[in-house]
Amino acid sequence: MKRILVIDDAATVRLYHRSILEELGFEVSEAVNGLEALERVAEGDFDLYLVDINMPKLDGYGFLRELRGKDMPQAPAIMVSTEAGANDQKLAFLSGANLYIVKPVRPERLASHVLTLLGMTSNGRGAPS
Amino acid sequence: MALAFKKVTVVVSEQMTVEDAEVLLDWLIKHPRGRINLSACTHLHAANLQVLMAARPRISAWPRHAPLAAWIKAALTP
Amino acid sequence: MNPLLDQFITEGRDILQTIGERLLQLEDTPDDSALMGELFRLVHTLKGNSGLFDLPEMTRVLHAAEDLMDAVRDGRRPFDRPVADRLLEAMDFVLALIDEIGDSAESAPPNTARHANDALELANALRSLLAAAQATTPTATETEPAPSPTPAAIPFESLPSRIQQELAQRLEAGEPLCWLTYEPEEECFFKGEDPFHQVLQLGEPYWRRVSSREDWAPLDELDAYRCILRFEAILNTPAEALHEHFRYIPEQVQIVPLQPPAPSIAPAPSSEPPPDAETAWSFNVVLEAQREILGLTDNPPWLSGRLRAVATTLEAAFASIGQAVDRDALQQALHSADASQSSQPLLHWLDEQQRLGDTQLPAAAPPPTTATAARPEAPEAEEPIKFGRRAEDRLAGHTLKVDQVKIDRLMNLIGEMVVTKNALPYLANRAEEVFGTRELAREIKAQYGIINRIAEEMQDAIMQIRMMPVSFVLQRFPRLVRDTARRLGKEVRLVMEGESTEADKNIIEALADPLVHIVRNSLDHGLESPAERRASGKPSEGRLTISARQESDRVVIEISDDGRGIDPERIRRKAYERGLIGEPELERLTDQEAINLVFAAGFSTAEQVSDLSGRGVGMDVVRNAIACVNGTVELHSQLGQGTRLQLSLPLSMAVTNVMIIESAGQRFGVPMDTVAETVRVARNDIRTIKRRLTTVLRGRLVPLVTLNDLLGLTIEQAPNGDDEFAVLVVRIGPDPLGIIVDDCRETIDIILKPLTGILAGLGGYAGSALLGDGSVLLVLNPRELL
Repeated sequence: MKRILVIDDAATVRLYHRSILEELGFEVSEAVNGLEALERVAEGDFDLYLVDINMPKLDGYGFLRELRGKDMPQAPAIMVSTEAGANDQKLAFLSGANLYIVKPVRPERLASHVLTLLGMTSNGRGAPS
Repeated sequence: MALAFKKVTVVVSEQMTVEDAEVLLDWLIKHPRGRINLSACTHLHAANLQVLMAARPRISAWPRHAPLAAWIKAALTP
Repeated sequence: MNPLLDQFITEGRDILQTIGERLLQLEDTPDDSALMGELFRLVHTLKGNSGLFDLPEMTRVLHAAEDLMDAVRDGRRPFDRPVADRLLEAMDFVLALIDEIGDSAESAPPNTARHANDALELANALRSLLAAAQATTPTATETEPAPSPTPAAIPFESLPSRIQQELAQRLEAGEPLCWLTYEPEEECFFKGEDPFHQVLQLGEPYWRRVSSREDWAPLDELDAYRCILRFEAILNTPAEALHEHFRYIPEQVQIVPLQPPAPSIAPAPSSEPPPDAETAWSFNVVLEAQREILGLTDNPPWLSGRLRAVATTLEAAFASIGQAVDRDALQQALHSADASQSSQPLLHWLDEQQRLGDTQLPAAAPPPTTATAARPEAPEAEEPIKFGRRAEDRLAGHTLKVDQVKIDRLMNLIGEMVVTKNALPYLANRAEEVFGTRELAREIKAQYGIINRIAEEMQDAIMQIRMMPVSFVLQRFPRLVRDTARRLGKEVRLVMEGESTEADKNIIEALADPLVHIVRNSLDHGLESPAERRASGKPSEGRLTISARQESDRVVIEISDDGRGIDPERIRRKAYERGLIGEPELERLTDQEAINLVFAAGFSTAEQVSDLSGRGVGMDVVRNAIACVNGTVELHSQLGQGTRLQLSLPLSMAVTNVMIIESAGQRFGVPMDTVAETVRVARNDIRTIKRRLTTVLRGRLVPLVTLNDLLGLTIEQAPNGDDEFAVLVVRIGPDPLGIIVDDCRETIDIILKPLTGILAGLGGYAGSALLGDGSVLLVLNPRELL
């Protein structure tokens, strides 16, 4: 089963993302900030990261820079922002995000991106294992 | 009052509200050659835009407010 | 209610609480950038959360608040009182909405549209502060995103060639161009919408068109209020931002991200997307993003990881549309990109791959590579699932949030248990006295001892659960003090200590109203105006301290101020004027006794009744409220220096230990915490001194009263066979006092219930309790009796 790490300091957002992702059949882990996310990463690999920007201790940019600096398999990361600014998007890409989306993310939209980033065909989309 | 009616010209003030559309339409029906002065206008409600598009009156002055002018020109000059 | 909404409400309340605290802290230390940052993040988080639900009113206000905080954080606007006031007001509004949502039993949030006007006003008020700031800081920019129009079927070719070329270049440069078509619904004007306004908010498009969805009717038949407009535009705005902009009317817009053209400009997808248009769309968005990333020219330490992530992403993206990937070539490209620290090899690979795949969107889904093609190209690095990890990940913490109702139920059950258990000694007595089986009686008593111990431990455990920190009631005071002081034109610094001190939930809750009253009294009457304070040589800022601490089995709350204090002379005079004391007392009362007169019913020292303390509610109400939970109030005051009120409350009110006494043929309970000792006093040892009954206990003169007198009964107290009277020595004031009763019996634990109904007005009783034999025991309150 694909493992996805949801990193957001808002419990509501984590639950929202978790419910969407679990419905798709993924295994979801959570972290409340960048530092905790790095701890999770140290415990095992993930296939995808959903990263909030504004978080205490270590923000999403910082987490991605740390993550991309590691000598380990590099899974795609989606940066989830509340700002639709071109600058924010560029900063996200510079830091190592692979996709930049804006909250609130519609479930089907998030699902679509996640499936794409995990390399699942449209056949697999209907009934993920 | 958002509209000041001269002989053959309506001078539109800053904002044209949704209610103004009916007044504008009536006037345009009665004055088929009427002109519109939009220079002071900074926003007009979409209902007014509809009336202008349907009636295609002469615009004696476009809005000085550039973004609004650009949209109205796009609407009235296909 | 659905769990997500539940979570939102819980988290929302927590966040609002913290926002309120931080705002007040920030008023003291407006330069604390860490605090500012946290505050911004909290507002931001809450706004993000609200956006998950259909709560436009809440989102609107929070958005405005966030923008304002952003300006404050960036130094574009100072953090001052108007900012704090507006933000607090906005948070009150949000809290009200959250409460409303929390109160509704629906699984979806209730429609909060009737607050739309309030929301608008609040948002405007917040933004007006922002506008004021921006007027002085011309560099500030609009934060509103600029969306654009989309076509039903994009007649790309119909665009002027100049525009086509420009768009092609921009797309090549990686600009996130979108085509927006917006067809407002016909009756939208009647909903107060102004589509033109929406469109103007989008910002300057590269191209635009306004048309009608049907031919215009002749003017005299035209219905100006049936909207048949169609807006189209091409904008440099990410599709997500456009979706956000039209969040509440998604069905009226089409938003199509434009693709970089192959040789010539490719038309965007047609109006009726193929079944898996979503897949294709996502694929394109992802590919576009990777191109943009590969186009970055910086060279950070994490470049290698970033490139590898792009490679992984590209491989996955192609897999997602079923297009085979030459993995070796990709690895090779990645390798040389890594070695040369340049994105070029990967870009080259991507060009090649796209050419192979016919570049554009797959027309149809490819045949699945396996029967269950969910993960056809799964990276080899994938590890087997680690069972058990999931449970760990989900362990949010070691705290369990439990509904108060469940705890209350537990509390009631243990209460019944205690009462039922008390029936066992009766049973034992009956076994012995009625049935004459002493053996059985002893066994019952032994079992009773065990059950008693377990019940006590259980009680203790439940009481621990019910313990709450005093901060639960103290948290409202920073705001209350701030607002009240401001209204009164006073400067007050609130100091709170020992907020983590814990006590039973009922005690804490009983504390809330009296505390508010005391604090308001202090602000109203105790603390002086800044001018008055300066005139008497004090700092203009008054100080109000609320402290809490535990003292053995009591929790002690102290409220003190450095205000003008209470003038005993004035109290005496007022009390005399109001007929509360007579002339002799006027002379005789000590200062402390005079001060205590403020607790007398109907006493109010306020020269003028303010709207804060109100009329008619005095300190007597405070004292009674505290007494209701077996608490006491002590008042100390030094004229000109301040006032200190000390509340002492039991840690728990759950179980009361009472002694059963008999008098006039009835049984009464007396709380053990007032009983110092019980003694038997021979009739001969009772003397009448100055018309008062007294006796000597261990060399000390102790005044005596009879319970029957206190209860207004004209019956003599009955002595025992040896002509001795049972005396209950209580310690209420500084000196002990004896209450003569007919007999003192055992002590028992009871669940004390306050008297209700017509009995509630009855003075002298602490309440009633149900006994094990089913009878009702009235529990006396000696403090009130005397």
